[in-house]
Amino acid sequence: MNAFLLHQEIDFTNCLSIILDCQNVDKPKITVEKGTHKYILVANFHAGCEMEITVEENSILSLSFLTSDNIDNSKITANLQKNAQLQAYFADFSLSKEKINVVINLRGDNAMAYWHLASLAANDDHKEFDVNIYHFGKNTSAISDNYGVCKDRSKLIFSGCSSINKGSHGSMTRQNAKIMVFDQDCDAIARPLLKIDEKDIEASHGAVVGKIPDEHLFYLTSRGLSDFEAKKLITFGYLKPIIKGFKEKNIQDQIVDLIERRM
Amino acid sequence: MATLMIKNLHATVDGKEILKGVDLTIKQGETVALLGPNGHGKSTLLNVIIGHPRYQVTAGSIYFDDIDILTLSVDQRAKLGLFFAMQNPVEIPGVINSDFLRAAVNTHKEKPISTYNFYKILDQATKELKMPFDLATRSLNEGFSGGEKKRNEILQLLLLEPKIALLDEIDSGLDVDAMQTVADVIKKEQAKGMGFLVISHYARLFELIKPTRAVVLINGKIVLDGDESLIRRIDQTGYEFIKTELGIDVEKEDVNMNKVSIGSCGIKDMVR
Repeated sequence: MNAFLLHQEIDFTNCLSIILDCQNVDKPKITVEKGTHKYILVANFHAGCEMEITVEENSILSLSFLTSDNIDNSKITANLQKNAQLQAYFADFSLSKEKINVVINLRGDNAMAYWHLASLAANDDHKEFDVNIYHFGKNTSAISDNYGVCKDRSKLIFSGCSSINKGSHGSMTRQNAKIMVFDQDCDAIARPLLKIDEKDIEASHGAVVGKIPDEHLFYLTSRGLSDFEAKKLITFGYLKPIIKGFKEKNIQDQIVDLIERRM
Repeated sequence: MATLMIKNLHATVDGKEILKGVDLTIKQGETVALLGPNGHGKSTLLNVIIGHPRYQVTAGSIYFDDIDILTLSVDQRAKLGLFFAMQNPVEIPGVINSDFLRAAVNTHKEKPISTYNFYKILDQATKELKMPFDLATRSLNEGFSGGEKKRNEILQLLLLEPKIALLDEIDSGLDVDAMQTVADVIKKEQAKGMGFLVISHYARLFELIKPTRAVVLINGKIVLDGDESLIRRIDQTGYEFIKTELGIDVEKEDVNMNKVSIGSCGIKDMVR
């Protein structure tokens, strides 16, 4: 079993659901005790917020963020012990200039993490997501999927490093960054990075930055969709899959609504 | 009854003239077989009718009834009642087929279709085409086999109910049973009054859908306009008679050959 399973399915049955309101908390701490499964929906994650997460042995944390406010200079650090699993979904529809730092440490053997980011940058937004995954334990696995849409005069940067450290043999890591660019004046950068210091491992990364292929637009418009409707449908296709990380139907609807309004 | 009227149409792609004065009229209710050797402009004609941005019209006109469609965008042409089933439908990752189909159906309606009614017509159309319903829940054409892509094109035709449909090699990639299914759907739509302009290199599809007319496009022009017997003749004898009977030299398709590599292979053989 590896992180590809975390990527494919989320099992919300038999898990404890919690809403964590960070409004007046600058340094929230989450601990998932041994052998438990928690689903946590993070509300009001804000600028300067530094979240610390510990996922203890044989436990699972499904963690979902929905942000529409400024989250500049915020940080998420997660430490995973032996056989621990983390599924993190970050839906970013904030309107701001911001830099977010994410660190996931796979400390225990067989720990696994799946990170999924969907970010929409518009107007004069300037956003940078720095997502770093460190493999320390043996047979650890991680997938980092980052999807972005960049329009108007905005700037969107996906950076970060997946690092396989000495002693973490048998590990697997995958980084994926895709940004769709809508307008001439916007700017998008994807900088995936791999650091490998062990043998017998599997590591890969991919980055795509580009505009919507003309052939895709032609196909959709040839069925009667206007240029705007076609772009909207493609944007939904890029960003909407994030909703599978949210258990609540009303939050899923809110995300769809946010994508629609921000388009 | 809608009429598509093409007059003296000239069009280029990447600066090269492909269509050199096409004259053709298709009426709703007619099925016209568009024949011709490879590289003579059949697919170009269909792309120009629907408005592919890669093709430039340099002269001539296309009217759909009394509307000059060359002044319209691609989506406006589709909304008028034109549909183009493509030879190689693109794969669009992330766009769910049913989301796309519903959005497309809604563009042809004044009021958006209800979820219930949409799934009802979708269910009916997929059954008619013997398509697994799960194709509707997957990304648009992504991972579809060649046959599934073609059936998905016909599925859209069924849902959008155009006045005139342009089918570009809709039979390629279909097995015998699938071709029969697609032909049955086309025949049903013919009976309802839909018009068709159909490209195919195989007489089998035409035997099944029985075109009312056949036209031959050679060197960027329609050089022959006849009945169904023209299809049988070309299927049996090829295009050679065009030269002998009409005195038209059939231009050969440009084939890019890497002469250097052939040459070097030859030299290697000689050295051995």
